[in-house]
Amino acid sequence: MLDANIRKILMEVRDQAASEGIQATLALHHEKSHLMRVGNSSISLNTSEDLTRLDIEVTDGRKQASQTFLGMIEGTETIRNVLDKAVEKAKAAAPKTYDPIPDEVEESVQEETQYDEALANLDPGVKADAYREIFSKLGANYNYSGSWSSGSVEVYMITTANKNEVYHRGTDQLFTVVLKHPGKKWELINTQTGWRASDFSVEKTVKELGRLIPVYEENNGYKVESGEYTVIFGSDAVSEIINFSVFTGFMGRGWEEKQNWTSQNKPGDEVLGKNITLSDDPFNSQTFMFGFDMCGRKRKHFPLIENGVLMNLMYDSSTAARYGREPTGHDTRSMGIVMNTGDGFECPLEAVRDMGRVLYIPALHYMNLPSRSKGIFTGSSRFNALLIEDGKMVSPIFSTRITDSFQNVLGNVSVISSVPESVNGSNTYGRRMPVAVSVPSYIVAEGVKITDSADSF
Amino acid sequence: MTDSTAVKKEISKNISRISLDGAGYVDARYYLNDSSETILLYDGDLEANDTTVESGIGVRVLWGGAWGFAATSDLSSLRECFDKALLNAKTASKLVKVPLFMGDRDPITGSYSSPVALDPFTVSLEDKLGFLTRLDADLVDDFVLKRIVYANFQKKKIYFQNSDGSEINKDLVNVFGMMMVMALDSDGEMQRRSMSLYSTGDGTSGWKMITEPVLFAEHSSRIKLELKGLIEADALEFGRKSVILLPGQGHLQVHETIGHPLELDRILGYELSYAGGSFVNLDSFGKLRYGSDKLSASSYGGIQNSPGSFGYDDDGTPERDYLLIDRGILVNALTSRAMVNEANEKSGREVFSQSGGVARATAFYRAPIDRMTNVNILPGDDGSLEDIISSTEEGIVVDNPVSWSIGSNREHFHFGCEIAWEVKNGEKTRILRNPTYQGHTLEFYNSLSSVGDKSTWRVELVDNCGKGEPNQVMQIGHGVPVLKFDDVIIGERK
Repeated sequence: MLDANIRKILMEVRDQAASEGIQATLALHHEKSHLMRVGNSSISLNTSEDLTRLDIEVTDGRKQASQTFLGMIEGTETIRNVLDKAVEKAKAAAPKTYDPIPDEVEESVQEETQYDEALANLDPGVKADAYREIFSKLGANYNYSGSWSSGSVEVYMITTANKNEVYHRGTDQLFTVVLKHPGKKWELINTQTGWRASDFSVEKTVKELGRLIPVYEENNGYKVESGEYTVIFGSDAVSEIINFSVFTGFMGRGWEEKQNWTSQNKPGDEVLGKNITLSDDPFNSQTFMFGFDMCGRKRKHFPLIENGVLMNLMYDSSTAARYGREPTGHDTRSMGIVMNTGDGFECPLEAVRDMGRVLYIPALHYMNLPSRSKGIFTGSSRFNALLIEDGKMVSPIFSTRITDSFQNVLGNVSVISSVPESVNGSNTYGRRMPVAVSVPSYIVAEGVKITDSADSF
Repeated sequence: MTDSTAVKKEISKNISRISLDGAGYVDARYYLNDSSETILLYDGDLEANDTTVESGIGVRVLWGGAWGFAATSDLSSLRECFDKALLNAKTASKLVKVPLFMGDRDPITGSYSSPVALDPFTVSLEDKLGFLTRLDADLVDDFVLKRIVYANFQKKKIYFQNSDGSEINKDLVNVFGMMMVMALDSDGEMQRRSMSLYSTGDGTSGWKMITEPVLFAEHSSRIKLELKGLIEADALEFGRKSVILLPGQGHLQVHETIGHPLELDRILGYELSYAGGSFVNLDSFGKLRYGSDKLSASSYGGIQNSPGSFGYDDDGTPERDYLLIDRGILVNALTSRAMVNEANEKSGREVFSQSGGVARATAFYRAPIDRMTNVNILPGDDGSLEDIISSTEEGIVVDNPVSWSIGSNREHFHFGCEIAWEVKNGEKTRILRNPTYQGHTLEFYNSLSSVGDKSTWRVELVDNCGKGEPNQVMQIGHGVPVLKFDDVIIGERK
């Protein structure tokens, strides 16, 4: 846990800065991260990092600068030194053509509802034992790889605008195992996520993979020809599509600057299918909940799409300042995007029983946007992808590329699962900052464009 | 403990201690300073004026064939950091089917400094902003809707020591620059044209590089002109034609479909749960026809003024220059010590004679993994860009990526580019917008029909290659000439 003394000296430096008329935001980010990586059925890397970052942003009229420090914080002097550097850089900066909106912690917040001591201090030996058990139960003849990241994050922020403080402490984990057939080359994956140690169970993984192994063992791979297909997208794929569509459709900056696929629309226009409802919900417990943003604003339930209609756009502080809008609490790396569930069967196979031949694509690998303005995305299937006929798993499919638009895919959804699923979208580039979306466990979309496929696994 | 001499002595003591305990290998990377400065002008407004300063130590211990790693910025707890890495390795060794080993190596004492004529961190912010603001002003025009000018400066001072007895000091400086203009086309779609700072692979470096007009600033009027052409252009139609890649696009093609699939850790399956695998296997070396006779690719850690040049990797291996693909045949991979040992043992033969020196970590708090150095295509003998165009009946010339999406084993790909020029009967004709092309890696490289000469070759700098868990962003360079591929799928089916 963040040393109480560090918070105290940060507040002291804040008080000094405020008394000197400096306008600053001071934040600490502390992570205790652990990651176990598995390759060739062995633990290939077992890492621990305990890191504290200090971020200081200074605003001097229309001039701004930020300074981040990751090193030994030896006392007030270290923090003051980082502040002084930021002040100096702000002085030398070129003024903006607009007035920045000052950061201000609206209300003191202390949130720890998603903190689990057991996960924060999870013994790496538990992870090793779990992997061993999975290998043993699923078969030692396969080649296993994977990773299991877990840890805790603390964020503490104050500003010179007032003495309010926000503090967040949470834990998160993301478990992955990949099972590869050594000869036939096909790969299966299972992931688990959550904020409690008890969110993980070996049995879940064994059950999920155990269900798929026979289909892969007993059938050859199928090459999907280019054309239009009915596709069941699993939760990981839904999460990718939703995330990309949100960031390129509903962020205020892209919309103001006519780069979004929604730029020719306005709030009130129907942009997706009537059965699609999306929001940013910091209170949804299937996401990693952050009740404030990094400008000190309280985050609230924020409708984005209701029954296909564009409701709101998300404005970070600098975009709002630049375009004369109100910031909406979106200066955050951890949004809680939620897609509402529908009334589809729990099992996707039941949902497509009368649909003949359909593709099941649970995840999209390496998605990207050839045209952001048109909402065109491309990505390919990878693990666990199947050809389904009359609701039955027929054979695995080779890596298959989809190149289509958000409007087409999310405009032609015929079934939405009634079961919500949490999909962990955290990455660990730089600092630990967990993020997850809550999406239906699957959707069925009609007329999805398949544009290429591999010739083998 | 902030005295760096004392820290180095402590490192030495701890490496000896952990080695005597029975560790197979121990190393420590002490980052005395890892600084990064980012400046971003957005329509002339200074939107990013950010500096990051990091320092700390990362310790790696190999025990019982498994790696343990720990990192801290608290140098008063060095001993605890070594103990944590050891404990992590011991835990990891509980589940080892394929033991990793580093092999014996004679100790190396060395140092490497990036060639720097003027350290960018000694240039004042006012001077930096003065240069970038002038560049931004050059991008202004009536039809230009958005302008971006970006610069990033990096400086790392690293001390490395390992249980081989090696001691290496590195002073690395990287400079990146990018400018972009955007405007709406007749369909209301945003088009863009950009230019990134590149290197010729020689000369001086540091701040002088970004201010060298030919490498960066003098391209501002060209990209504006090309953007004007783009917003009035027709869209590229679906078809199969020759595709000529300028280095601005060719480097990413090489990065994604030669660099990544030839990283040995991917080939051995260590990246399956994240970045993916490779269609290449250990039997492919010396046999697989990766491309046509015109394709020769190298890994060269010694190109001057490239972020893919660093003197010694994080296993303590000196930089190397070697062929990956020799006239179309796959001959080597991007390798590190433990991966070479594992591959040779697995194959029962010497597939790789030595490490390629590619073990790198992005920061003190990350463990080294296999990262490409400068993966290059050697210049060919098909002349200049104009020569290649004149020998093309029907095709397109493309530049700069907009999007890239690669199959998990790097077996297929889809690229979107900023701009295309139509080529008909040996002439470059009109500009086309929204160009895309796709293909399957081996089929694509086997259709390589022209490789530009040295005059077309340049080193493109990459500052955002992501890989590994925990994730790591790495900086590298790619020296590539103009490349022509035949019978490629371009555009999208209706």
